[in-house]
Amino acid sequence: MAKVLHYLNQFFAGIGGEDKAGQEFLFLPKPVGPGVLLRDLLKDRQKEYATVVCGDNYFHENEETVLASLAEVIVQFQPDLFIAGPAFHAGRYGIACAKAASFVHERWDVPAVTGLFEENPGTREIGRHVLVIQTGSSAASMQSTIKRFADLAVLLLNNNQEGLEAFKEEFCLKIPRRFTVQAAAPDSVRALDMLLAKLRGGAFESEIPRIQAAPHPIPAALQDISRATLALVTEGGLVPMGNPDRLESSRGTKYFKYSIEKRDDLKSGEFEAMHTGYDTSTVNADPDRLIPVDAMRRLEREGNFARLHNYYYVTTGTGAMPAKMQELGGGIAQELSACGVNGVVLTAT
Amino acid sequence: MLITCLPNVATQVGAYRIMSGNKFHYPVGNPELSPQDEVNWRAQVLSAALKVLQTPVEAPTVFDQ
Repeated sequence: MAKVLHYLNQFFAGIGGEDKAGQEFLFLPKPVGPGVLLRDLLKDRQKEYATVVCGDNYFHENEETVLASLAEVIVQFQPDLFIAGPAFHAGRYGIACAKAASFVHERWDVPAVTGLFEENPGTREIGRHVLVIQTGSSAASMQSTIKRFADLAVLLLNNNQEGLEAFKEEFCLKIPRRFTVQAAAPDSVRALDMLLAKLRGGAFESEIPRIQAAPHPIPAALQDISRATLALVTEGGLVPMGNPDRLESSRGTKYFKYSIEKRDDLKSGEFEAMHTGYDTSTVNADPDRLIPVDAMRRLEREGNFARLHNYYYVTTGTGAMPAKMQELGGGIAQELSACGVNGVVLTAT
Repeated sequence: MLITCLPNVATQVGAYRIMSGNKFHYPVGNPELSPQDEVNWRAQVLSAALKVLQTPVEAPTVFDQ
């Protein structure tokens, strides 16, 4: 048997709309709004269900006061589970849910859950280990979302780690952020401890998560290169001078193609590299050092392969999310394949 | 195929045909050479890259230039 505390804004608590957004922080010793449905789904499990309500504007204008009031409620009510929202695509509400859930989890280590649409600005305020159920953009998905809240609540209250991992994988937003935490020892000590453990053949856990690359099919070797069209691709951020399409210089989310048709080499001053991950001056002085058009033209003329594709493709690989890069790589590969390109030389900085 | 100065990272993330580049801030550059020698050098590197494209592999493999 457990205690659940649920955070809602004025709208979902049934107090009112925008005209009531100044509603002060309020404790109610009962479920309200979506909490009623959630309590019903959990009725076998929990003995107490309480609600805290705060107007969207009031939260943002009085954040410290609200969190202090919330702290008092936590100390008195001692919840086993904290739920906020779901806030769907509502920005102020989403941020409030994220901050409240993160506050409660970080301060008291109470499992905290919220529900957000992936583009809700609240996703940028999510603290470490706060679970965010992915929702639709509007309250139309309330019923199914609350059902998921209930499923997750049961897993958390039962401390079902295996079920939790599977649930997170399927229904929770991946929050791609790094968090600041207080470690027990300075990094030099931790690094040496890890090194010593490794040398002794002991167990150690890296603090940097390893990239788990999904295996993909092995590209076949080119059979007849004399008839092949080849393309050049780079993650080194090379764009026409002035960066007309505004390629990001780090954390790239886009790729572009630029024509090299009728070019025998790439000239300094016509192209430049947008990339904060390396010193771009040597490439800027001769862009062929990244996209080797001059060498490929020579090999093309000498008949080493049939044709150089008319465009090179580019994105920026530094600070990038592997999932985003996978998406961009897939897009580039699809376009090249559709153009009849048989092979790619990809340069990486 | 991939030309990179971090072949261990490329191997770890599962690229299959990998060749070492010259420097990570200019994988197919060699600014210490004269301009003409640099183009010749680069053509040799890319010629090796073309051979890599024609080589069957069964796992991430790092090729020499």
